[in-house]
Amino acid sequence: MQDPVFSLLDVERSYELRGSGWFKRTSRHLKALDGVRLELQRGDTLALVGESGSGKSTLIRLMLGLEPASDGRVLYGQRDLAQLDAEERKRFAREVAFIYQNARGSMNPRMRIADILAEPIRLHGLCAENAIPARIEALLLRVGLPAGLLQRFPGELSGGQVRRVAIARALAAEPEVIMADESVAGLDVSVQAQVLNLLRDLCRESGITLVFITHDLGVASYLCEKIAVLYLGRIVEQGPTDAILNTPRHPYTRALLQAFPRFGVPLKASLSGEIPSPVNLPQGCRFAGRCPQVQAACHATDPTLTALEADRQVACLFPVAAA
Amino acid sequence: MNRAVALNTQAVEVPASQDALLEVSNLTLRRGKAVVLDGVSLALHSGETLGLIGESGAGKSTLAMALIGLLRAPEVQLDGSMRFRGTELTRLRESDYRRLRGNKIGLIFQDATAALNPCFTVGEQIAEPLKRHLGLSKWDRRERAAELMHSVGIPEPALRLDAYPHELSGGMQQRVMIAIALACNPELLLADEPTSALDVTIQAQIMELILDRVRALNSSAVFVLHDLALGAQVCDRIAVMYAGQIVEEGPSERVLAAPLHPYTQGLKSCVVELGSSTLVPIPGQIPPLNAMPAGCRFAPRCPKAQAICSEQRPVVETRDGRQIACWFID
Repeated sequence: MQDPVFSLLDVERSYELRGSGWFKRTSRHLKALDGVRLELQRGDTLALVGESGSGKSTLIRLMLGLEPASDGRVLYGQRDLAQLDAEERKRFAREVAFIYQNARGSMNPRMRIADILAEPIRLHGLCAENAIPARIEALLLRVGLPAGLLQRFPGELSGGQVRRVAIARALAAEPEVIMADESVAGLDVSVQAQVLNLLRDLCRESGITLVFITHDLGVASYLCEKIAVLYLGRIVEQGPTDAILNTPRHPYTRALLQAFPRFGVPLKASLSGEIPSPVNLPQGCRFAGRCPQVQAACHATDPTLTALEADRQVACLFPVAAA
Repeated sequence: MNRAVALNTQAVEVPASQDALLEVSNLTLRRGKAVVLDGVSLALHSGETLGLIGESGAGKSTLAMALIGLLRAPEVQLDGSMRFRGTELTRLRESDYRRLRGNKIGLIFQDATAALNPCFTVGEQIAEPLKRHLGLSKWDRRERAAELMHSVGIPEPALRLDAYPHELSGGMQQRVMIAIALACNPELLLADEPTSALDVTIQAQIMELILDRVRALNSSAVFVLHDLALGAQVCDRIAVMYAGQIVEEGPSERVLAAPLHPYTQGLKSCVVELGSSTLVPIPGQIPPLNAMPAGCRFAPRCPKAQAICSEQRPVVETRDGRQIACWFID
């Protein structure tokens, strides 16, 4: 087997919360991520799924090196992200692209689309200055936009077009890994379908490794071959998409699947309550407070992510039966 | 004529003698020269839930805003009629509208964080319609507000009464909005994308809660939704809107299980379901308001379009218990 592109070794990320006032200087810790283990192979398409507050975005920020891990190590290839020197950092920035959740907000409103797309090419010196116009035109074409948009400003484009430009910008530096944070949320279904098809074709054609954050299991299943379900800073289940959809083994995954709106299936609120605050984590299993099949042992023992089958890991003391 | 057809379906259990709670006929809304809503007609009976579905720019929210009198002359020009329990809404004075809003017609907006006033406690905001419309005393209001909070599933209402909106989670804020909307036992509830900002698990909770309360009060509801599968789950009837027109309307299980209008068919093929392997997007986008096609507004994007479609507006036909505006229904 090849070396993984990314390996996360027991990664933890906690933030210190200062109490307010002179006498309340005792600090508390908010654990956004706790003991995350993950391996990403070249060409993998992985979806990070979970409710808001589950730690999806923090995880991707750590993998991008935008934040240091409080504990554990994030390896890119063989190298620890925290120990890259300036030269390696620049290479990393070229090889790993990020598509922001708020595509419009991630673009300078006073730059034309042509300049937005040319910037990463210039920065990394990927081609001669006179070859840039042809290259950005090809990029725009690749994401299905007319070359006429090059002289426009981001504010003049529709929501779907802005997302495509964001994808084109990510492709500009010819990355090996693309990370995307909720890149289709809030789009109309027809535009969402266009953007999803585009991302899927790009990954299939050029073998790009994709890490995709979404709260929508449908989107995750359409785009990615693997799914990791997060809950309160932990991966509670991960495995191949088909297996997760057909036989969810963690009660949380099953509840997420049941809450997903489907034709011909009645509405069902599968979970009561909300995701608890990561400041005061419950003892034992973090999901115990909302779990429909909680048992006494769950409140005492914190389950670790263990392999059930090949490629399939679940963090639950009493996993749902496979059948 | 249409009622006879509708009565054959099990979805409509309203006696033929009873008038509709809400009846919109041939409503046209113009903003300057742009025709934003074009000949919209629909009827809602007591106890029914109706879903307005379509892409952004279809006019779903505009229709909802027009219904509650937040879009009216001189800002826009309204033609046609909207009748709520026999009262003509298009000619209603603002002072009379105020007596309806929050009282007989409850409202739930998409973004609870923006809709709630950050400067007042949630208890005060729930109590406001109780004071304005029901004239309850201060202590009765507080007691009723706590009851309402309990009924929408907010734990420890006595403590939360004095909380400010920012102290509550998104799901809890949406519950507060529902409590405000239901404070005066409205006959009609209008909910504009009530769950699109929430996680799926919370979405299911909130939708179940709204349906439960609407049934308990025997009121009707109009939902503005973009999620077709959710529409199928929560609505008795579905009206599919495109570019300011209703293109298909009928019982939700028929409209969404076997759509007849090419636009509804196209929408359904874009929906990501669990494990779907192909998505077929509808090409193009909704035309801008100042450049609407003369004939069928969907014609430029329609796979079935022929010469007549771009020349003449399709006649609304009743077929299989639903109304469809298309020249070429299968």
